[in-house]
Amino acid sequence: MNLDTKNEITWCPGCSNFMILNSVKKAIKKSKIKNFTMVTGIGCHAKIFDYLNISGIYGLHGRVLPTMLGIKIGNPKLNVIGFAGDGDTYSEGLSHFISAGRYNSNMTLLVHDNQSFSLTTGQVTPTSQQGFKAKSEPLGNFNTPLNPLKLALSSGITFIARCDSKDIDHTAKIIEQAIKHKGFAFVEIIQTCLIFNKEMNNLSKYTYKVNNSNMKKAIILADKWNYNSKKGKIPIGIIYKEKRKTLEENWPQLKNGR
Amino acid sequence: MKVSVLIGGKAGQGINKVSQIISDVLIKQGHFTFNYRDYPSLIRGGHNFNILSISNTRIGSHESKVDFILAMDKNTIKIHKKELKKEGIIISYEKFKDLGINLNIALAGAFTKILGIEKKYLIKEIKKELNNPESIKAAEKGFNSQEVKFNLKKQNNKIKIISGSQAVAQGAINSKINRYFAYPMTPATGVMNELAEKQIKNKFMVFQPENEIAVVNAALGSSFAGANTMIGTSGGGFDLMSEGLSFQGISEIPLVVYLSSRPGPGTGVPTYSTQSDLNIALRAGHGEFPRVVIAPGDPKEAIEKTNEAFYLTNKFNCLSILLSDKHLAESEFSTNKKPNKILKVIANKKLPGKSIVKASSYEHDKFGNTTEDPKIIKKNQENRLKKYSQIKTEAKKFEMIKIYGKRTSKKLIIGWGSTKGVILDAIENTDYKFLQILYLMPMSNEIKKEIKKAKKVVLVENNLTGQLGRIIREKTGIEIKNRILRYDSRPFLCDELRKEIRNKLK
Ligand SMILES: Cc1ncc(C[n+]2csc(CCOP(=O)(O)OP(=O)(O)O)c2C)c(N)n1
Ligand code: SF4
Repeated sequence: MNLDTKNEITWCPGCSNFMILNSVKKAIKKSKIKNFTMVTGIGCHAKIFDYLNISGIYGLHGRVLPTMLGIKIGNPKLNVIGFAGDGDTYSEGLSHFISAGRYNSNMTLLVHDNQSFSLTTGQVTPTSQQGFKAKSEPLGNFNTPLNPLKLALSSGITFIARCDSKDIDHTAKIIEQAIKHKGFAFVEIIQTCLIFNKEMNNLSKYTYKVNNSNMKKAIILADKWNYNSKKGKIPIGIIYKEKRKTLEENWPQLKNGR
Repeated sequence: MKVSVLIGGKAGQGINKVSQIISDVLIKQGHFTFNYRDYPSLIRGGHNFNILSISNTRIGSHESKVDFILAMDKNTIKIHKKELKKEGIIISYEKFKDLGINLNIALAGAFTKILGIEKKYLIKEIKKELNNPESIKAAEKGFNSQEVKFNLKKQNNKIKIISGSQAVAQGAINSKINRYFAYPMTPATGVMNELAEKQIKNKFMVFQPENEIAVVNAALGSSFAGANTMIGTSGGGFDLMSEGLSFQGISEIPLVVYLSSRPGPGTGVPTYSTQSDLNIALRAGHGEFPRVVIAPGDPKEAIEKTNEAFYLTNKFNCLSILLSDKHLAESEFSTNKKPNKILKVIANKKLPGKSIVKASSYEHDKFGNTTEDPKIIKKNQENRLKKYSQIKTEAKKFEMIKIYGKRTSKKLIIGWGSTKGVILDAIENTDYKFLQILYLMPMSNEIKKEIKKAKKVVLVENNLTGQLGRIIREKTGIEIKNRILRYDSRPFLCDELRKEIRNKLK
């Protein structure tokens, strides 16, 4: 399976999106699954659309999840994988994220979380730390950051993981498991932006690996790091996992494909 | 012969059942009915009423005065007494107070007797509809309480009752719809309910996502994946979809949108009617891209035009918007005419899963790769414009306009959408001509010719600013100053409109 395209890659040299692209290719190849269809949002992360030789939709900013859901409903045989930014997912498209847990459609969302709007030159997103100074926020961000893992847990998402983009092999392994999960899988990928929000770079040394499927423990794990500082330890790996009937299993019209 | 009856009461008292029973009995006798529904945005209590107009020939409107009032409460008499004709009759709830929830059935029975229809037809209908001894008893009690006032002879007509919502759903099913996405919003919800009920039998799926933004994006995903997809909404929901419509324009993923108007701005008047969303249907979404906007005027046209919308959308991978409103969606029309032959809807694009297919919201090359190359951008822009002219050529195969009344008349009425029924009724036995515009985009070149042929022209619209008038001026350079506009959220009444037309075309 050749996943490469000839398009010129326009990410900044050394951007961790390169690493995520590598992890994704590894995971797709290892999974041996075909019929992948991707959806991307709008932002630096979304450029991955041009760099992967698979079908898909370069969607609107914030609308990755409903577009993915539509593809699954339109043809449940397609394996749908989404790439979104933290701005995409937790700001513009938050309502879709919460609802995706309820639907539990069999698809995978990867969030490239660099704690900033990067393509629009570095503004504050819901996961940005307090005090983050940006051109549009000269006084520094006053808001406490959102914890996506806690939100995911309370939204009923059946596969919740966090990765460190710099750990390519581990990220690939988790993405592969996410793809193979029956139900909605969400992978939050901590990503450094070399240009904006440099303060949150180099988080790797705080990370440690976990593999959990117990809800009580998941809440404790999600609480270990609040996205606000470099204090505490950052668990990466599978934070929570459960089995639940999928949207495709529930709807008689989708049971045998369309 | 025309008879009209107003049926009024509180929400939840079963007013619709009354008009349903009466009209079901009548159409089997070969008589036509038109049922106007008037209700505020509440679930129980308040005041609702229907006006059922009955005729021995086609009918598509109601008048300001009625012959009968069936009153299920005191309020109905208080509010509507002034709308009763001089020799009109009120049949009051008081006589039937002891019947409880079957009060409405008694009133239906009473009115059936007045019309001079045999009891057996009434009982047959009640048995079919409700089949319980109390209801049958109530119907008989009502029937026996009245004297025969008319003598409706059985006519040889095969008539069906259908609402605009049911017709749009039928058109979608005829077009082999696979997926319908919608978020509830009156008056578009009727189509969602209708399709939801029929989804299993007809093997398609109706899905309600978290909001209208999700609706339009999910629909584009679904259509991209190969499903024949439609969405439905009203004003505010449509506004939320604008960015998605623009996304359709660049990605060229086929999409059919049903837009049923309610009076705005804002939340406006949810359960009443307007034609004030023509502007957004024509213009919503940034950038320049082709689209089709069609406004059917009655259920038969709604079936046919929904089919045409699917046909054009699939042939050209474009956006088609079907424009309706509360008056068309929720009024119940009777017709003895069969819709045109069903057009076969054929998809015209590559599907993911079979080969690599990329759709994009960015300007892109022919493989779907993002581009900022001015040459490609220019070409893409021109291609979108070219597509519009291809759509126009294809649309000429269909009835983009219709002409009624006296063909040689120099006095022309122009209208679109749900005003069709009332205009047709208002010009009965006159020598006016009526031009109905069904395709608002693209528009027929015949419109200019028709206006030029006429000595006097009047525009009839259910909005404040004459939105059709504005696009006629844009396309033809002709300004129609003579206008009849109604914008109090209520549809035109036949007798009033007839007078106004006479004045304006003098
Ligand atoms: C509706 C809409 N609003 C705003 C934008 C402008 N915009 C483009 S990318 C972006 C932010 C992207 O941030 P994020 O999703 O975090 O992705 P990143 O660039 O950080 O990878 C915004 C706001 C847009 N494209 N669409
Ligand atoms: S701005 Fe940041 S996220 Fe965007 S390409 Fe450059 S390093 Fe990567």
